Amino acid sequence: MGNPADLMRDADDAVKLVSGLLRRGESGEAFRERTRTETWTASESGLLAPALAEESGTAVRIRREGSLLLVARSGAGPEALRDAVREAGRRAGNAPFFKAHRGAAPAPLPAGAERPEEEEGRTAALAAAFARALPDPRGLALSVEVSRVVTERTVVTPRAFLPCGVRTRLVASGTIRRAGSERPFSFQSARPFGEAADALAAALREASRPASGLPPATGPVDVVFSPSAASVFWHEVVGHALEADAGERGSVLSRVKGAAVAPPGLDVVDDPGRSDLPGAYGVDDEGTLGRAVPLLAGGIVTGLLSDRRSGAVDSNGHGRTSSYRRPPRVRMANLVACAGEASLDELLDRCGDGIYVREVASGSADPESGRFVLLVSAADGIRRGRRGAPLAPFALTGEILSALSSVEETWGSEVLPAIGLSVCVKGGDAVPVGGAAAAILVRGLTARAARR
Amino acid sequence: MTHGAGDGLFERVLDAAAGDGAGAELYERRGALLELTEDEEGSTLLESHERGLALRLFKAGRSAFAAAGPERADTLPAEARRRLPRARARRGVRLGAPAPGEVAERRPLSDPPPPDADLARTLLTGFRQALTASGRGAVTVREASVSLGERAERLATTAGRDATWGSRLATLVATVVGRSSAGRFSARVVGAASRPEDLPVARLARHAADRVLLPLNGRPFEATRADILLDPLVAAHLVGRLAPLFFGDEEEVLLAARTREGRDALASPLVSLVDDAAAPGGLVRGVRDGEGTLQGRTRLVDRGMPFGRLTDVAASGRLSRTPSGSAVRMTWSAPPRIGVTNFFVDPLPGVSPLDLLGSVGRGLYAAVLLEKPEVDLSADTFRLVVAGYVVEKGRATERVSEATVSGRLSDFLRGIAGIGDDLKFALGGTGSAGSPTLLVPRWKTG
Repeated sequence: MGNPADLMRDADDAVKLVSGLLRRGESGEAFRERTRTETWTASESGLLAPALAEESGTAVRIRREGSLLLVARSGAGPEALRDAVREAGRRAGNAPFFKAHRGAAPAPLPAGAERPEEEEGRTAALAAAFARALPDPRGLALSVEVSRVVTERTVVTPRAFLPCGVRTRLVASGTIRRAGSERPFSFQSARPFGEAADALAAALREASRPASGLPPATGPVDVVFSPSAASVFWHEVVGHALEADAGERGSVLSRVKGAAVAPPGLDVVDDPGRSDLPGAYGVDDEGTLGRAVPLLAGGIVTGLLSDRRSGAVDSNGHGRTSSYRRPPRVRMANLVACAGEASLDELLDRCGDGIYVREVASGSADPESGRFVLLVSAADGIRRGRRGAPLAPFALTGEILSALSSVEETWGSEVLPAIGLSVCVKGGDAVPVGGAAAAILVRGLTARAARR
Repeated sequence: MTHGAGDGLFERVLDAAAGDGAGAELYERRGALLELTEDEEGSTLLESHERGLALRLFKAGRSAFAAAGPERADTLPAEARRRLPRARARRGVRLGAPAPGEVAERRPLSDPPPPDADLARTLLTGFRQALTASGRGAVTVREASVSLGERAERLATTAGRDATWGSRLATLVATVVGRSSAGRFSARVVGAASRPEDLPVARLARHAADRVLLPLNGRPFEATRADILLDPLVAAHLVGRLAPLFFGDEEEVLLAARTREGRDALASPLVSLVDDAAAPGGLVRGVRDGEGTLQGRTRLVDRGMPFGRLTDVAASGRLSRTPSGSAVRMTWSAPPRIGVTNFFVDPLPGVSPLDLLGSVGRGLYAAVLLEKPEVDLSADTFRLVVAGYVVEKGRATERVSEATVSGRLSDFLRGIAGIGDDLKFALGGTGSAGSPTLLVPRWKTG
């Protein structure tokens, strides 16, 4: 990755270019992004081939009423910005004003600021993580790609040049095969590299074990979610349902703003300012200050996440994009649920017979119909208030409003960050997200076999 | 940024990469993409140009990869050289050699022209009109998007290969909503073609209408065993999931297990599987693969028996075969990997889908997929959730809202008793997957 200052070296000119581009009734901004991806292919015998990819790009966006124009170009320097502004102006029918602001020729980019010995260290740490995860790879066939992705972004609005900061995440995906059974493997973490490598080792170790136990019986079941799993529950059930782009009829939650849908005293807030969580940012990808938005306050629907295109409401700083080539959409940042007063043992006791969900691998929700699915990767049975044998992976399904009304009125006292929640994919666009929650008991969800 | 054809960057990077006894391969891609999306809030027009270069160094069975945009391309030789010692030596990994008689073109790339936004608007309008007609007013578009892309590629090696080629792709993606007295049902449909003028707009509209109206207006399929007739676009998604069986030597063990070391057939004697970069109707129009190897037709299953493999240079070395031209670069910033171009079941000329329909006494015509197919090649199982029509005495009668076709994959493939001549393709894997109508008698349903 180049010097972070590179993206700012033409700040004044960039602001002038963008402010000159927009006409009355239009809003817009320029967006710069630089990504450095170090990748290792890996098998059961360890790391195989290293690769590096550096990509940078500039986008200019113009909004007029309900329409958006986005012009993207390779490169994050002044020339790319001018070229994108020129094309955006032409397509929007605006005047070619930029020549008046033409700055000096750009200085050559400096050599990569990443030091080779740091990358060597990461390679060694990753190799060690694989060795720890797979001490005896006999009978195992693994095909995984592991990438460390560093992304740096800035937004240029008509008034200001706004650095969005640098984000780093470790991503892995591939397949693991053992004894005639193949399972997909995916992992993401936005934590510091050492911690992320440890978490990857733990995830690989868990995924490469022979599947233990049987899935639960299909049908209604009472579920205690661990704090980590509860974060995914809130993300799918409350977060996605209160993003302001849920179709013509809105979502099942946005249609009942002001209604009590969950137990009294339950607060759920989306907070980009929680810098300890992976979804943190100061300024969103449209140049709006990221604000904490209470979505549920005392169990009542109170808020809606919005971006600049949402229309009905002003942006509260949740316009986010996966790449400079893609338009921003309304997205969550870090969804945080408040603490209650119960211990985990009390929740298990209240549950009686059911399931204790330790980790949810992924989930999805259809905010308009209210249906949601959680794919459970680690769970134990609960018998007479005690945790029992581990269960094989399975799916939990439900309907948002009935699930919220079935959340027990007592919940956990300890709010912990989610382990398995760090990247959210919506419409093919992946953005880093985080969550923190306490354990909860939800009655009457439906268990069914997981589908590949 | 518009780059002229002759900025010399490509030659400069390749020159700097040569030496140290390592072989070098430099790849450049320039692309132009236009995407027009219309939804309930308005429209979004995306227009982008990209340019990137990727270098691979090879030495003694090791390879290292580095990629960057033009502004950082001069650093590629040093970045790749630095990583080469960290790579593990693997059998077959080497720089590809030019084919006998292959002439180095030495032709610089230019930026492709920007795609036509008016053409994208025309296609969207055409889709809306066709959907109104197909859905008889009961189906509306929530969001529809047309993408028109064009790219130019160049690859040169220190072994003497230097080639340029180009390709295009057009896609139409729509989320449609069906309404009836039974409620609402929404679904996402995708159509594609190698040229915008070939986009099957009317066919996609009919498919979209079926996709949302059949689940609303039909009844669940009740028979537990029936003749199954798979529509080409349903069968194509199942066929596409078979492709990894033929990726180089990756699935040797699995393929051997499925065929008892080649003694058993993989599929019915009617079935031949082919990958063909120039297949008529295929969504990919390939000339060369991501290593510059010329692409052609590769027969993978011949009358039910395993026959060929999809190979890149490394896999062809391990299998002692000629490379099939199956190295695919999904983006310029990722190394090539084995993939398909147009992978399909060879149609049987002269057998119309109506002939196959006429041969069904009582069965199910699976017209649309309701969920992504589940296929587990290791466990040899599959599951399709479909909607369609009951077939009685060779005629489609009542609508079916949902049916599940599942079981042992190898038995299903060996049970294919009829193949039509109506080959159609869908986007799948790294390219497209295709199939004609398939008939499997007496299969279990749920």
